[in-house]
Amino acid sequence: MNSNNLKSIASEHLWMNSKSWLQSKKEDGPRIIIDAKGIYVTDSEGNTFIDCNAGYSSVNLGYGRPEIAQVVKDQLNAISYFPQASTTEPLIKLVEKLASITPGDLNRIYPVTGGSEANETAIKIARGYHVRRGERGRYKIISREGSYHGATGGVMWLGSPNKVAEFGVPYPGMVYTSQPNPLSKKNKNKSSYDYAVDCANEVERMILYHSSKTIAAVIAEPIVSQMPDEVVSPPDIIYWEMLRDICDRYGVLLIVDEVVCGFGRTGKWFGIDHFGIKPDIMTVAKGVVSCYVPLGAVIVSEDIADAYVGGDNLFRQALTFGGHPAAAAAALKNIEIIEKENLVNNAAEVGLYFLNKLNDLKLKHNIIGDIGGIGLMLGLSLINSDSVNESLNDDFSDRLKTKLIREGLLLRTDGKTIHFGPPICINKNQIDEIISKLDKVLFEL
Amino acid sequence: MSNELREKALKYLWMQNRDWSQMAEIGDPPIFVKGEGIRVTDTEGNTYIDVNAGYNSVNVGYGRSDIAEEIYKQMLEVNYFPQGTTTKPTIQLAKKLSDLTPGDLSRVFPVSGGSEANETALKIARAYHVKNGDINRNKIISRRGSYHGTTAGVLWLGGGPPVASRDDFEPMYPNMLHAPQPNLYRCEFNSLDNSECAIKSANAVEDLIKFHGPDTIAAVIAEPIAIPQGAVVPGDEYWPMLREICDKYGVLLIADEVICGFGRTGKMFAMEHWGIVPDIMTVAKGIISSYLPLAATIVRKEIADKFADEDNYLKHTLTNSGHPVSAAAALKNIEILENENIIDNSANMGKYLKEQLEVLKSDHQIIGDVRGIGLLVAFEIVSDRKTKSIFSPDLSIPDRLTEKFFKHGLIFRVSNEILNIGPPLSITRSEIDEIVHAIDLSLWEIEGELGLPVND
Repeated sequence: MNSNNLKSIASEHLWMNSKSWLQSKKEDGPRIIIDAKGIYVTDSEGNTFIDCNAGYSSVNLGYGRPEIAQVVKDQLNAISYFPQASTTEPLIKLVEKLASITPGDLNRIYPVTGGSEANETAIKIARGYHVRRGERGRYKIISREGSYHGATGGVMWLGSPNKVAEFGVPYPGMVYTSQPNPLSKKNKNKSSYDYAVDCANEVERMILYHSSKTIAAVIAEPIVSQMPDEVVSPPDIIYWEMLRDICDRYGVLLIVDEVVCGFGRTGKWFGIDHFGIKPDIMTVAKGVVSCYVPLGAVIVSEDIADAYVGGDNLFRQALTFGGHPAAAAAALKNIEIIEKENLVNNAAEVGLYFLNKLNDLKLKHNIIGDIGGIGLMLGLSLINSDSVNESLNDDFSDRLKTKLIREGLLLRTDGKTIHFGPPICINKNQIDEIISKLDKVLFEL
Repeated sequence: MSNELREKALKYLWMQNRDWSQMAEIGDPPIFVKGEGIRVTDTEGNTYIDVNAGYNSVNVGYGRSDIAEEIYKQMLEVNYFPQGTTTKPTIQLAKKLSDLTPGDLSRVFPVSGGSEANETALKIARAYHVKNGDINRNKIISRRGSYHGTTAGVLWLGGGPPVASRDDFEPMYPNMLHAPQPNLYRCEFNSLDNSECAIKSANAVEDLIKFHGPDTIAAVIAEPIAIPQGAVVPGDEYWPMLREICDKYGVLLIADEVICGFGRTGKMFAMEHWGIVPDIMTVAKGIISSYLPLAATIVRKEIADKFADEDNYLKHTLTNSGHPVSAAAALKNIEILENENIIDNSANMGKYLKEQLEVLKSDHQIIGDVRGIGLLVAFEIVSDRKTKSIFSPDLSIPDRLTEKFFKHGLIFRVSNEILNIGPPLSITRSEIDEIVHAIDLSLWEIEGELGLPVND
């Protein structure tokens, strides 16, 4: 079947993530990827691109690793699934591995198939934990404005109620606090430290306002991975130190969402490793398996998990595809390669190089505003260089996207910000390639 | 080696619906290393029949190397895709599902499991009404005793016995309404025939809509044949009436085919038994026989088209939506279902299984009812056929049955008095005989232990 046929079938039958099929059609799409290796992908017209965002900042290892395909095939040929109430070898090895690379006593692992399910499960575990401790009233969840934690009913209301307003009445118990992003528009020229202290104090204020007896958990990404129209920098370490302390003082569980940050993205195994604190529950997805197969996991402190032991304390939840042996085998191999090829250090080193290059680029282009991020989770904002307060229009956004694609860069942009989350195997030469293409596009604009 | 693995599992793994301290006491969990057809083999070399095919999900059976090969090839070619792009197998799967599903169900949103598929269906239904200007159509009607998933947006659908209590996870999601289940054996209206129970159950849905006001109701969601209460096949009046009621009041009808779909009931989709086209259909499990995670939400053209243009697109993103490797596996799986006559086999073997269970029922007083269609069959254990009452929980009948079945070579996990049988659809007559024989022996043993009178 040729690609035009496929495109017309797609526009008739396929419903893609957050995409209008009429829009796709107008753009002569959707683009169909037929080959993918490392940081490069090729479409059905033969155009090759750098995937600057590695899928959804998720293909950490890069595309096309035959070792992963091989272990998946071997596992499927041994046992492709499992009977109820039983398990398989690769899953046991995976949970042991996850326990060994996560901080402290984060040792009890509930496997799921994606980030939304992981965060849903984390919240259920937190609520059920309080019920088991006789505190049934603790159901509210504190999240930070602008954060994203998933698309299903229990997590889509976290971070922002208005983005999902068309999906009905909000799930009760959502409490919002400020995002501790030092580059936030809400930060009126405070130092990173002072702003972090303000934001952490706000969490405590909200706990007291709602009464600590009603708060189940705080959920947060260690470093927020995307903000609408904003570039993100890591919060000062004081934010996380205070947050841990506040949660401990009020008996609130701390859930760290490492779905994007985990597995080397920020130059450490986990984003929270930058801050030296231990969450009660950690959620992972994406990078845990570099999107070779769907997988996510909830990693729980022993003392929290132990509330579910004995008597009638069972955690009642089943997901058909949780604990899939082929996904587990893929994730194990993925982690093994990240370790063997030292890709976490690579993300730190090449990420710093990338950041410096972006700063150099800013000296040449007035259109670049803020630059921020850490490891291979970076971003820049685009500003109207003639009049700082005037925002860039849609026409500009369209021209920018068109030119980036013509230069061979696929990346995430809303026209006001550009995000980078490439495979963490990327090298400095490839960064130079991205920078020079970006340079060219910005000059043309 | 296997003891070491078991220790690690007990230390680090949080298994579905299992308590590691209780598993430690009984030498669990079993660890399986090999699967072939309907059989699985553990680390000690013991082989068992997996009576429920995973979670009624391994429809083509274990050990299909052709699916493994397809997955391998696709993973080498394109293992994933950049944001905003797609891949060949995902497009081909969307087309295939549009072709297979009834009526104008033709727009496919791929996801990675049944919970996500139902969550997506509800989001589409609610946003559809908002786009129509019906901003108050937000309530969802489901049936007591049903199950539609475990994430918060779908966890509160259905519920009630025999579904596990949700009281650990309060608060309840807003705007959930619950209607009776058209389950003749335990009909809420005490109906004596299936038609009457079906008609009264459907009328109850209409009453709920009228009570709350039609302009507040977004959708009705239901399994064509409900599983938790044990393969409940409604009277033939039920689905046509439900379709009519939904049309009358502008309510969307969502059919959850997560278990029923892909041949489980002897047809490709269970809705085909009544020739009814739902507005949205959700599928998972059998679509890929659990070789990898995959599910989908399939929407009628006129509903989906509300979301077609740039100003109205559905704001919904799941990283694993449209995964090319899962799509390739599903395409192969569907090809096997079609080429190897597996769906006809499901109809025929299901009929045979049900007949054999009816024979067991005549021998065992503790079987209260046998029902189902295709290879979705169930029977209920009762202490008294007349009152349909169940044994005291103190007797731990479900756990004891699970143990007996295991001893007789079956993995057949029982969690309440309703026993669902949903094996791979590739099962043969002699394999069914093996299962029925093991059930027969297990029931004799239980009856002996309970000191029950034995039929001759």
